[in-house]
Amino acid sequence: MDIPTDVWGQLALEASQVYLTEGGQMRSPFANTTIEKLPDKVLLNIFSYLTHREICRMATVCKRWRMVAYDTRLWTHVSLRPEISGLHVGSLESLLALISIRFGPSLRYIELPIELITHNVLHELAAKCPNLTHMLLDFSTAMQLHDFSEMQAFPTKLRYLCICLSEVIFMEGFMRKIYNFINGLEILHLIGTYEKIEEEEEEIYEVINVHKLKSATPNLRVINLYGINFVDDSHIDAFSSNCIQLECLAVNYCNKVTGSTMKTLFQRSRRLTCLLMNGCSLHSDHVMQVEWEKSSIQELDVTATDLSTECLIDMLTRIPNLRFLSAGQINGFNDSVLKAWLESGTTRTLMALDVDASDNLSDEALHRFVSRLGVSLAGLALSGMPHITDQLWQTLMPLLHNTKILIMGTQERLGVNIHVDQLMDGIANSCPNLERLELRWDPENLRFSDKSQKAIDILRVKCLKLKCLVLSDGRYYEIVKANFERADRTTVVRTSTNCRVSNYYLLSNYKELIFN
Amino acid sequence: MPNIKLQSSDNEVFAVDIEIAKCSVTIKTMLEDLGVDDEEEEVVPLPNVNSAILKKVIQWATYHKDDPPLPEDDENKEKRTDDISSWDADFLKVDQGTLFELILAANYLDIKGLLDVTCKTVANMIKGKTPDEIRKTFNIKNDFTAAEEDQVRKENEWCEEK
Repeated sequence: MDIPTDVWGQLALEASQVYLTEGGQMRSPFANTTIEKLPDKVLLNIFSYLTHREICRMATVCKRWRMVAYDTRLWTHVSLRPEISGLHVGSLESLLALISIRFGPSLRYIELPIELITHNVLHELAAKCPNLTHMLLDFSTAMQLHDFSEMQAFPTKLRYLCICLSEVIFMEGFMRKIYNFINGLEILHLIGTYEKIEEEEEEIYEVINVHKLKSATPNLRVINLYGINFVDDSHIDAFSSNCIQLECLAVNYCNKVTGSTMKTLFQRSRRLTCLLMNGCSLHSDHVMQVEWEKSSIQELDVTATDLSTECLIDMLTRIPNLRFLSAGQINGFNDSVLKAWLESGTTRTLMALDVDASDNLSDEALHRFVSRLGVSLAGLALSGMPHITDQLWQTLMPLLHNTKILIMGTQERLGVNIHVDQLMDGIANSCPNLERLELRWDPENLRFSDKSQKAIDILRVKCLKLKCLVLSDGRYYEIVKANFERADRTTVVRTSTNCRVSNYYLLSNYKELIFN
Repeated sequence: MPNIKLQSSDNEVFAVDIEIAKCSVTIKTMLEDLGVDDEEEEVVPLPNVNSAILKKVIQWATYHKDDPPLPEDDENKEKRTDDISSWDADFLKVDQGTLFELILAANYLDIKGLLDVTCKTVANMIKGKTPDEIRKTFNIKNDFTAAEEDQVRKENEWCEEK
């Protein structure tokens, strides 16, 4: 049965060698230059654009391709979590073989799911992958922890460790075996189960011992505790007592945090520049006790907390060098806060502001505030407010010359319509540095004419750095998407179900805060 | 703009703006090593590139002469292959032989931008194909014995969807 294959192969080959010239078809002068003439280095470059799954498939093409596919340089970042678009390794034996043969000293980053986290695997990683610096261990789906009593070794060069916790599995059996190996850690992520939380009250287990963990990790610069239901103020206190290098602390969606240890945190962690507390249960009294004027804080997120007007004024007028503020969804954030803040003069360093869904802010107050800061703003989010329409944005546009991120609109249906063509035109002509833009208005509220294409053309041509444009799914989205696709910018336009824009891109530790 | 003369393997000479020629790290280094001054009309021989391919390389480099420099570290490069500009896509609508000759030239002349975009083009030809289709597309002989093929399939089945 070999003959037909060869015939087809020959035909395909001949077809590939024919090319069109003015005089009609002729054989390419380079018909003898086949892919086999390319050096290994180039083949490696080509393979570097393929996914690991495709690379594995290519290994079965021929001996040379197998050799290139097994080059450890293609295997520096490996995810083995099939649920999160990673590869699926069926058995521990095959993983052990891969670690020594395929990953070896090239491996820098690995993601492991619970099934593959065993002492044998970790021993092998420690022995064969001396350059492994980043590791993610996903215990989130665990029903039971493997037995780690025989674990003797663990990668020692880790700078980054991310542990996805389960709600019910106690980690100590594992953790006490690794404490000795992780004191070089600079970045720690502990990911809770916030996103899976159900309505009913469940018992909360403290599945990881933060007090012991902090003793083992004195060099942490970045700590991200995300959506962990048992984390409270004592845990923040624990980390701050031992991590003198701490620059960035995020406790987003840890709703037991009230801020009672914030004062001590700032006294101890003089280098703390970034504090993210979205969705925490902060008490205004605690927050007001912090010696803000002595702090180095530059980036602050207090979105969806219950801080009072008094507390916000007190805090914002005392922070000397704030660059980044996210303070949406707070009833207490009203016009008097903006007024007092402006008058205190502490707004001059501000470059990113998010006041999403702040219903108590008037458009006049926002206009006044942004007029004063405009040119220094790199990110501005005035979303989720029905009274902030294209009218206000149009008047602000000329001031937003340096902005990189803009988020506007509300999903609520409005009585008025948004003239999106003029708005796009305004953005295009005012914001040459724009990188990310989100318009959250309901598609039914977007009014556009047959001249839409022209406004989109201008935006596309003038905002060359635009890499993300998010719109609610609807007719206008289709028009914009098609326009960008015709110009080969296929990945720019997305729907709000796939993508959300946030000022977080502007955080100085943004890259270190990414997980998953 | 001062020109430089490039001589192809089949002895055709091309006059090229020196700044455009310098997008090739190989030529750039050669000029620096030789310490060419502008007065002299030197001819740089390129024995590994023939005239048809050199013409295309110059065409590409001229179009891209004002491109911003590419980031040095390959460490964090994106694996995207859907970002080939339409000009490049048109430029690379050539037969396989010419495409591979261009890759060899980009590799020899060390023109990163051209090498990357041609490699992406080949990667796109590979994507979504079975090993058998790949062998047909590129006329590659399967040099595994039946036993070896069995072995290599086993070694890589873990990568397939579960």
